[in-house]
Amino acid sequence: MGPSASIDEKGEHIVAVSQEEHLRELSKGYRFDWKDQSNSVFEPKRGLSEAVVEEISSRKSEPDWMRKRRLKALKHFEQRAMPWWGADLSGIDFENIYYFIRSTEKQAQNWEELPEDIRGTWDKLGIPEAEKKYLGGVSAQYESEVVYHKIKKELDDIGVLFTDMDSALRDYPDLVKEHFGTLIPANDNKFAALNTAVWSGGSFIYVPPGVHVDIPLQAYFRINAENMGQFERTLIIADEGSYVHYVEGCSAPIYTSDSLHSAVVEIKAMKGARVRYTTIQNWSTNVYNLVTKRAAAYEDAVMEWVDGNIGSKVTMKYPSIYLLGKGARGEVLSVAFAGKGMHTDAGGKAIHAAPYTTSVITSKSVSKDGGRTGYRGLVRVEPDAHHARSNVRCDALILDDESRSDTYPYIEVEDETAALGHEATVSKVGEDQLFYLMSRGLSEVEATAMIVNGFIEPITRELPMEYAVELNRLIELQMEGSVG
Amino acid sequence: MTSTTFDEAAFELLPGTSEPLQRMRKQAFEEFRALPIPSQETEEWRYTDLSDFELSFEPHVPSVVRTTSGQDLDGLGVMFTDLDGAAESHADLVERNLHTLVPTDRTKFTALHGAFRTGGTFLYIPPDVRVELPLQTLTYLDADGAATFPHTLLIAGEGADVTFIDRFASPALDRALSDAIVEIVVGDGAHVRYVSIQEWGSGVTHLGIQRARVGRDAEFRSLAIGFGASLARAEAETVLAGAGGFSEMLGVFFADGTQHFDHRSVQDHVAPNCSSDLLYKGALRDASRAVYSGWVHVRPSAQKTDAMQTSRNIVLSEHAKADAIPNLEIEANDVRCGHAASVGPVDEETVFYLESRGISRAQAERLIVTGFFQEVLDRVRLDEVRHNAELAIQEELGEPATAGAR
Repeated sequence: MGPSASIDEKGEHIVAVSQEEHLRELSKGYRFDWKDQSNSVFEPKRGLSEAVVEEISSRKSEPDWMRKRRLKALKHFEQRAMPWWGADLSGIDFENIYYFIRSTEKQAQNWEELPEDIRGTWDKLGIPEAEKKYLGGVSAQYESEVVYHKIKKELDDIGVLFTDMDSALRDYPDLVKEHFGTLIPANDNKFAALNTAVWSGGSFIYVPPGVHVDIPLQAYFRINAENMGQFERTLIIADEGSYVHYVEGCSAPIYTSDSLHSAVVEIKAMKGARVRYTTIQNWSTNVYNLVTKRAAAYEDAVMEWVDGNIGSKVTMKYPSIYLLGKGARGEVLSVAFAGKGMHTDAGGKAIHAAPYTTSVITSKSVSKDGGRTGYRGLVRVEPDAHHARSNVRCDALILDDESRSDTYPYIEVEDETAALGHEATVSKVGEDQLFYLMSRGLSEVEATAMIVNGFIEPITRELPMEYAVELNRLIELQMEGSVG
Repeated sequence: MTSTTFDEAAFELLPGTSEPLQRMRKQAFEEFRALPIPSQETEEWRYTDLSDFELSFEPHVPSVVRTTSGQDLDGLGVMFTDLDGAAESHADLVERNLHTLVPTDRTKFTALHGAFRTGGTFLYIPPDVRVELPLQTLTYLDADGAATFPHTLLIAGEGADVTFIDRFASPALDRALSDAIVEIVVGDGAHVRYVSIQEWGSGVTHLGIQRARVGRDAEFRSLAIGFGASLARAEAETVLAGAGGFSEMLGVFFADGTQHFDHRSVQDHVAPNCSSDLLYKGALRDASRAVYSGWVHVRPSAQKTDAMQTSRNIVLSEHAKADAIPNLEIEANDVRCGHAASVGPVDEETVFYLESRGISRAQAERLIVTGFFQEVLDRVRLDEVRHNAELAIQEELGEPATAGAR
């Protein structure tokens, strides 16, 4: 692993130089350790073509089936129209994106290299200096390797496989081949096709039967030279009766020079297993975040998505759960925030395809400064999925008269024993609440932030402590300068 | 006249009308020819497939009976008449309002309506006039293979007050098309109650659009009862255009056999300080299918909006299928908006209780459905209207649920 290729989980902490400069820099100092390709100087190219896809595949020394899969996906991507619904995606210029180099964007080498606003944010978050450097990725490499190795040993002992997708394809080819793309086929949607064609990095987790992983597995602690792009691919298989909590995250604002992030996440919770997948997404506001997340829950399995979307220019993400086995349970907790220039179109889907399955979707959204949040969801009960139960609850808070909130819940029921409910409310911050808090000496901003934090509390209480604290702090930061 | 594909020849055969209306008609005909049959690819038509729909019918003027409950309308200056007649006598009012709320180029079917409509109902209530008793139009169709284009144009002047019942019925037919448009202008401070009872026989494809514009401090209450037709797509839209307006939209439907209902609603808040409330309740039996989709739009200008939207569905048999999509699009912040939707079976505990009292399961279900609909009917203020609706429901449900029922 070359020193310049030390990138944390998502290629998140990236120097805010122009992409051009960035690439010059990279092609100069590029020492990425492709196995079969040691001394070629990599010349990044814009745009997407078969050649680019072939190159990605060959540089990764992938098996032939994956190469073919990528090429086929590229065809699907080219054939499919852009979605006509949801957010405005007309700003995406597919020809102007580097599909390959993105995975090699390097990290800041020292604290001063980090963009001003990121440093500022961390100052405001009150994170200690050492931790800041760590979060900034500056010293993350060393420290996280330590942590990573420690965790890795523990995981090895109980037989849990936790690695990046590229390594998994190399080290566990059969497992990957068996499950890759089975929940989200390449032609599922345009962006899943794109991901399948150019994916790089992402996490691979396999939890053996009956194993309970006590610590949340955080992508953050995994150093991975080959990662991490805007097109990461994650696959989690929780075998029978196992438990795992995966936290994908950005515990700090993310900065990226690129403009498109399109991940695919597939999760299988086998019989009696329980998987929780937590995301705190805080991309900078020049990122199109178009992610396909899908889980299958088999008999008596439990699948939980905890999905916080605080950043990005556009987010379109609807984590879904296919309840495929009798008694399976699914839950989606979604928080969306949209500030100036942002459109967050989030939600959740539950497809009941087996009897006695239950699902709960809870969505909380906050929009301000002209931001637009949306809940878009689907609850579907297939014929013969008798005695399905589902409840959907969406609440939206609109903080000023320029902002907007939309709710598009789809309920489709093909079985007469199903019981489904949906409720939503949209409101502003209660004046009496504000008045009370301000009469106690809080400023309007503080009071508003407090009310918003209370509003999203049902979600934050489900987060690991440090993430909950951070989400609250982020909300407070977002509130700054909002009112009065 | 034989079946037609609504071509030039058929268009030429239409009886003449006033010059401006003829122009409107001509334009609609061009639009009809240019527009495609709505595709399921679009969100609006996602749940109703008309791709194989054969547009070949005999244009037909159904029998229309207008009843005034014995009131002297002339004395009040109220116009309650045939739309074509009104186009002569009240040319200005008709030309100014016809197809302004539902433009002919909205879909291929509204264009068809605009081109081939003859007849229809025109109701005008002058400012500050109050019509005590409900007025009613019964549109009866009994010609197989016919296409009919019912149109209601209701204009309530400032401060006027009226209740109007639009009733559509036919026997079972092999095949017929009802392509209906209802346009309602509720003047400032006016009160309008509009009830539609759709009891087309099987074989009828009903495509209806109802759109009301509610003025300042005005009140619009609508009740839609839908039992008939093989396929019924009914859109009901209210635009709250003046500050302080109020809209209530109630719906009751019962689907059985292989009926397909596609109900769509829009509560469009343009002006501030308005409130709107929508409650649709449906029961489904056999292999029927019902879709409810609704939109609450709150425009940036519509601060202090209070809007509610509720869809409740009871599914009574294994092969029935219900979908609900209650949407909110909120662009103002000082608002209170909510929606709720549910789909579920009859409550087994309630059935059990009734059965334990010696009531058969079928009867218990009827009682429960009657009670389920009662919540809507209880909100209908005029006894006569409520009674009408109750009768229609009882008829649909079969034998009276209890001896005491009307």
